[in-house]
Amino acid sequence: MAFISMETIDKSFHQVKVLHQVNLDLGEGEIHALLGENGAGKSTLMNILGGVLQPDSGTIYVNGAPVSMTTPGDSQKLGISFIHQELNVVSDLRVYENMFLGSEIRNKAGFLNVEAMKQKTRDVLSRLGVSLDPSAYVRDLGTSHKQFIEISKALLRDSSVIIMDEPTTALSEHEISRLFELMTTLKESGVSIIYISHKLKEIKAICDRYTVLRDGFIAGTGSLEEEDPESITKMMVGRSVSQERFTREHVPGDEVMRVEDFSKTGLFQGIDFTIREGEIAGFTGLAGDGRTELFEALFGFRKKDSGSLYVHGKKVVVNHPNHALRAGIGLVPRDRKENAVIQDLSIVHNLTLSSLGHFEKNGFITKKQERKAFQRYKNELNIKARDPYASIATLSGGNQQKVVIAKWLEVNADVIIFDNPTQGIDVGAKREIYQHIVSLAEQGKSIIILSSEAPEILKMCEHIYVMYKGEITARLNRDETAEDEIMACATGSKRMVESIG
Amino acid sequence: MKLWPVPQDQKGWWSLLAEPQFEPQQSAEPKTEKRNWLSWLWAEYSVIIAFVIIFVLAAVLNPRFLDINNQLNILMQVSIIGIVSLGMTMVMLSGGIDLSVGSVLAMVGVMSVLALNATGSIMAALIAACAVGSAAGFINGVLISKGKIASFIATLGMMSAARSIALYTADGGSVSGEVNGFSAIANSELGVVDYPIIIFLAMTALVYVLMNYTRFGRYVYAVGSNEKAAVLSTIRVDRVKIAVYSMAGFLVSIAAIIETSRLNSISSSSSGQLYELDAIAAVIIGGTRMTGGRGKVIGTFFGVLILGILNNMMNLMNVSPHLQGFVKGLIIIVAVLFQKRD
Ligand SMILES: Nc1ncnc2c1ncn2[C@@H]1O[C@H](COP(=O)(O)OP(=O)(O)OP(=O)(O)O)[C@@H](O)[C@H]1O
Ligand SMILES: [Mg+2]
Repeated sequence: MAFISMETIDKSFHQVKVLHQVNLDLGEGEIHALLGENGAGKSTLMNILGGVLQPDSGTIYVNGAPVSMTTPGDSQKLGISFIHQELNVVSDLRVYENMFLGSEIRNKAGFLNVEAMKQKTRDVLSRLGVSLDPSAYVRDLGTSHKQFIEISKALLRDSSVIIMDEPTTALSEHEISRLFELMTTLKESGVSIIYISHKLKEIKAICDRYTVLRDGFIAGTGSLEEEDPESITKMMVGRSVSQERFTREHVPGDEVMRVEDFSKTGLFQGIDFTIREGEIAGFTGLAGDGRTELFEALFGFRKKDSGSLYVHGKKVVVNHPNHALRAGIGLVPRDRKENAVIQDLSIVHNLTLSSLGHFEKNGFITKKQERKAFQRYKNELNIKARDPYASIATLSGGNQQKVVIAKWLEVNADVIIFDNPTQGIDVGAKREIYQHIVSLAEQGKSIIILSSEAPEILKMCEHIYVMYKGEITARLNRDETAEDEIMACATGSKRMVESIG
Repeated sequence: MKLWPVPQDQKGWWSLLAEPQFEPQQSAEPKTEKRNWLSWLWAEYSVIIAFVIIFVLAAVLNPRFLDINNQLNILMQVSIIGIVSLGMTMVMLSGGIDLSVGSVLAMVGVMSVLALNATGSIMAALIAACAVGSAAGFINGVLISKGKIASFIATLGMMSAARSIALYTADGGSVSGEVNGFSAIANSELGVVDYPIIIFLAMTALVYVLMNYTRFGRYVYAVGSNEKAAVLSTIRVDRVKIAVYSMAGFLVSIAAIIETSRLNSISSSSSGQLYELDAIAAVIIGGTRMTGGRGKVIGTFFGVLILGILNNMMNLMNVSPHLQGFVKGLIIIVAVLFQKRD
C-alpha cells in the first residue's frame, strides 16, 4: 500500500487553476521522480505536501489515514522534510546555526549546546562527503555548499519522507554522485524520496517510479524501468527534443576580449585567455575551481590582485559591474534567488532593470515599450507568465530563470558570460535557450558559458577551458576531446594547457 | 461567507475571521470581477481604505470636521511633515532610515534665517536652505554607502550633530527673519489654498513621478529589495544611495523653509523635534516595508493625511494633549496590523 498518497488535488492562484485533480502515490522506500515542464505545477504540489500551501480540494493520506496540514510544522511532524527549489539559508549565520535553525539543541539549563550541534553538523556533512567548518559563516560559502546545507538540514531530522525540489542545480557531477549514494542508503533504510529534477540522466540513475505533470494535469505515471529518456521527454513536453550537439560553420573573427594574468590569492591564479567574435567558449570544473569567482572579478563584482583586461584591443579598468557593462561585457550570474532576481519587483521590471536606457524617452520610462519587450521575450523564450506586472515570485523557478536570461539578452552586450544558465530549466526550454545562444554567436556576439556539466559544455562550446583549483588546466577543442578527458583535467589528474593554438 | 476573497498565500490577520480553508471554487462568476478588484485594492492600497474609514468616522463624530476651512487646515498642518515623509519614503524604500530629518530641519531653518538677515535677499535664504539640507543628506549618503555605516547609526550621528550646530549658531534660542516678504512664502494663498499645501501636493507629484517613471526610482526599489542582485544588474548602488539621502535632505530643506517662513522665525531647540518619528509613522502607515523594496509614494501621502485627521479630530474633540500620543500610537499599531503582510 502506498505510504503517502495525494488524491484529486486542485489548486488555483487568483482564479487560475494550476493543479487539476492531481494524484500522487509514494511507496515506502521508494525514490519517486516528479517530472514536468517549467510551470507544470511540481513545486506547487510539493508545497501542498509540505504544508506551505493549502489545496483548494483533495485529500492527503499518510499510512492510509487522511491528514490535514495547515503549516509546514504539521508536515514536519508527520516526518516529511522539504528541500526547497530556492536556497533558504541565512547568510549571516554560521553553518551549524543554519542547520539547527528553529530546532536548536539545548542542554539541561536551557542554553544552546553548541558543541553537540557542531558535532552533528560535521557528521551529516561527512556523510555527504563535504568537508566544511561548522562554524564558518554561510555568506562566505559557494553555492554548492549552500545547497549541501539545505540537503543536510533535511537529513538531520529523522524523516520518513524527503522532498527534494531540484537539489542538484548547483552541484557538480562528483557531488551529485555522492548525494546519490546517500539517497540509496536512505532508501534501503525505508526512507521515501520525491525527487524533482530536469536532468533526465539523474532521474534514470536514481529513481524507481515517476509521475509526469503537464500543465497541472497528470500526464503519466509508472515505473522507470519501462521508459527511456525520449518517451519521458515526450510525455513532459508533448514532442521529442533533439539531444544533438550544435554545430555550425564558424570562422573565428577578430579578438574581442583578452584576459591577461588574472590572479586573486586563494581563488584563481595566472588566468590568460582570449575570446573572439562569434566564439562560444566554455569553462568547466569541479566545485571550488574558481571559475565563478574569476568571472565575477572580470565583471567588476569582486576584487582581484592583479591582471589586465583588454576589450577590442584596448585596456579597460573594471571596478564595478557598470564599468563592465559599458565595456560591452554582460554576466548572467548563477544562483538566481541571491544574485539575479529582485523579489519585490514585477516580472517586467526585473526584465528591463539592466537596460532601462532602451525604454526611456525624455528621461521617463515608457511602460508601453516595456510591455512590448515582455511580450517579445515571453514568446521567444516561452515564459509562462500572464500579467507583466505580477511579482516575479509568482513564477515557477524555471520561468524566473528565463526572465533572468531575457534581462541579459535585452542588454545586448558584445561578450555575454552565462554562469550556469540553465539552472532549473526543463529539457525543451533548454534546447530553445541553447538555440538562442547559438544565434547570438552567429550575430557576432562572443559567448562564455560556465557550467559544471561536461555534456552541456560539449553540446554548445567550440573551445573548452577546464579549471582546477583556480588554474586553467586544459584548453581543448570540442572536436578533439571527450567527456572523460574533461573529467580527468577537472580532477587535476591531467594537464593539457597547450592544446589550443 | 468571506468578506474579501482571500488569496491563500497572502493572508492578513483578518483572514482569521474568515471561514477555514478548503472552500470550493467560487461559482458566482459575475461577482469575481468585483471581488478581484476589491482584493487588489486591499492588497495594494489598504491605507486608502483605512483613510476612508477614518475620514467617514471623523465626519460622523464631528460635523465641523467636513468644513472646508477645517479640511484646508488639516492639509496645512500636515504639509511640513508630509514633505519630510516623502523623503523618508525614498530612504526607507532603499532599505535605510533617516533619523536626522528633525534636527536637520532646525539647522536648515537657522542657517536660512542667518543668510536672510545677512544678505537681505530672500533668494539667498532659499539657496542657503537648500544647500545646507542637501549637503547634510549628501554626508549621510556618503557615510552609509562609502563608509558602510548602518543608516540608523550614521543618521543618528547626523541628528545629534545638526541639532548641536543649530543650537550653537542660534545660541540656544530662536532666530527671526528681519526681511519683509520672507514670511509671505508660507502665509500666502492661491485662491483659498495656502502655498504650503500647494508645495506639498507638488512635491508629492514630483516624487511620485520620480519613483514610478524614472530609472532612478526603479533602482531605489531594486537596491532596497536585493542589494547584491542590484549590483550585479550593473546598478551603481552607492550613487543611488547618496542621491536618495541627498534628496531626502533637499525635501527637508523645503519643509524647513515653510516652517521658518510660517512664523518668520525658527527655534534651534524645539523646531523639528520628533519629526523623524512622525515621518516614519506616516511611511509605515502608508504601507512601506521597514526593510525596503516595497512601498508606495501614494501610500505615504495617505499615511500623512491619516495622521493629520487624527490630530485634528483630537483637537476638535478636546482630547487632552497628554493623551493624544497614546491614541496616535494605538492607531499606528492598528493600521500596521491591518496591512497585508507576507
Ligand atoms: N504564489 C503564486 N501566485 C501565482 N501563481 C503562482 C504562484 N506560485 C506558482 N504559481 C504558478 O503556478 C504554476 C506552477 O508553478 P510551479 O512553481 O509549481 O511550477 P514547477 O513545475 O515547479 O516549475 P519549475 O520547473 O519551473 O520549477 C506556474 O504557472 C506559476 O506561475
Ligand atoms: Mg519548481
